Amino acid sequence: MSPAAAVDVEERRIFAMGGGGFTMEPNNPLLDDFVLGLSPVKEPHVLFLPTASGDTTAQINAFRSRFADRTCVPEHVSLFRLQDTKRPLAEIVLDADIIYVGGGSMRNLLAIWRAHGLDRLLVEAWKAGTVLAGLSAGAMCWFQGGVTRSSGPPEPISGLGLLDGSLTVHADGEPERLPVWLAAVRDGTLPGGWALDDGVGLLFAGRRLERVVSSRPGAGAQRVDAIAGELVRHRLEPELLEGQSHGALGGIDEAVEELRRVHRMRRGMTGGRG
Amino acid sequence: MRPRTPQIVALGGGGFSMEKEGSLLDEYVLSLTDATRPRVCFLPTASGDADHYVVRFYRRFSPSCDASHLSLFRRDQGTGGVEDDFATHLLAQDLIYVGGGNVVSMLGAWRAHGLDAILRKAWRRGVILCGPSAGSLCWFAEALSAFHGAPRSIKGLGLLPYSNCVHYDAEPARREEYHRFVGDGMRPGFAAEDGVALHFRHTRLAAAVSSRPDGRAFRVKPARDGVVETPLHVDYLGAGPAVPVPPTQSAEAAACARNDVASESISQEPVAA
Repeated sequence: MSPAAAVDVEERRIFAMGGGGFTMEPNNPLLDDFVLGLSPVKEPHVLFLPTASGDTTAQINAFRSRFADRTCVPEHVSLFRLQDTKRPLAEIVLDADIIYVGGGSMRNLLAIWRAHGLDRLLVEAWKAGTVLAGLSAGAMCWFQGGVTRSSGPPEPISGLGLLDGSLTVHADGEPERLPVWLAAVRDGTLPGGWALDDGVGLLFAGRRLERVVSSRPGAGAQRVDAIAGELVRHRLEPELLEGQSHGALGGIDEAVEELRRVHRMRRGMTGGRG
Repeated sequence: MRPRTPQIVALGGGGFSMEKEGSLLDEYVLSLTDATRPRVCFLPTASGDADHYVVRFYRRFSPSCDASHLSLFRRDQGTGGVEDDFATHLLAQDLIYVGGGNVVSMLGAWRAHGLDAILRKAWRRGVILCGPSAGSLCWFAEALSAFHGAPRSIKGLGLLPYSNCVHYDAEPARREEYHRFVGDGMRPGFAAEDGVALHFRHTRLAAAVSSRPDGRAFRVKPARDGVVETPLHVDYLGAGPAVPVPPTQSAEAAACARNDVASESISQEPVAA
């Protein structure tokens, strides 16, 4: 297949979530609706890649039930069950308007993509203006590096490098990840970058951070760089997304909110310079 | 521990995951171990570590074996499988059973976790390696993968210096495709139908056995015009008193008795194609 035409750098879109969306927020569609809105296409083809989970039925079903009734054409590709797919991978990927990558093992995700040549197809899709979105492993993969728990304990790992810097996810939900990332940034193993709570997403136009949004009140993000061996931390205030007809934030989110506040107090994470 | 012979049992399809009567092939593989209660580790990687596959493995093997499995996904959540040192665990097994699925995804994930090198070492040390489908293709230098779209040649771990084609009877096109690839320069190799297992000692074919009375396997080599396909002698495991039982002597003796052992000596009517 001939390469698709490239778009202006600023029209290349990546949306990286620290956690959230249909796999983690079954009752909160704010982030997924935001993803749909990123494509200029009225009824976008949304291609879900559940590779990082080993293509679990649970993820695929959650994707289908979230997007089935929305204005889009949901599809998924399982690299473990390709026999169900008649079309070539290249065609499927380049036909998509939005590619949504699920969470799981980042090490497996990248290795399996590379084994199928999907990494190159995704870069091509990005350059052609396809929106790339994802959470957790599916968010960190676009950066130069991240922190994975693919082998159990959290450890630094390289990504595809479409975006500069590194990313760490679930900063509130999996507190053991953050210190490993901070240490890796401090000692130069990973470049500086962003730490995102569950529910927070970074939107990039080309390689430039354009917006920081959130599906949950109180969820936060920070930018961290190592300057002369010291960590410089800036807290970012996400814009809280507003629901359309769906914005039912039930009691469960209040409970999550409270837990998050407790986590933050315990860590003494006040933002600002640290 | 006395040195053990490297052995691979490559199933064209079959075993616990694919056949109701899969126990014949699985029994055969288990009989090759010296152990009364063999240590058997399952690698479900090619299925994406599908839960139902893992459950069926335990159902089949845990009554008679020390069964475990190794998951390369969801390790952060604790999978009930092997968590820490892969190498130590795998090298301590009598049998490593690799499940079917997508061989390209599996090999990619294995390499990312260093499992390719560990499995090679395990094989050299005499841990028996086996599996159907993707769990067969992976051991060979080359394999015909027809899992998705046009069939293509993929590179396996190369423990066995041949090519391999599985599910040889599943689709009529499979045989033609394999012949075409071998005719076009894929290395010579072995094709097995569903229910047929190719048993290699070191890198030589020791026996071909089947859970079905009519199961077939073939050696395929390039010839001046296309290829020569030679049927292998296949022993039906359901016939007669039992699968080879006395464990220490069985493999060699049974293989000698039934097959003249070396792959080179397998010569029956060549079928030109």
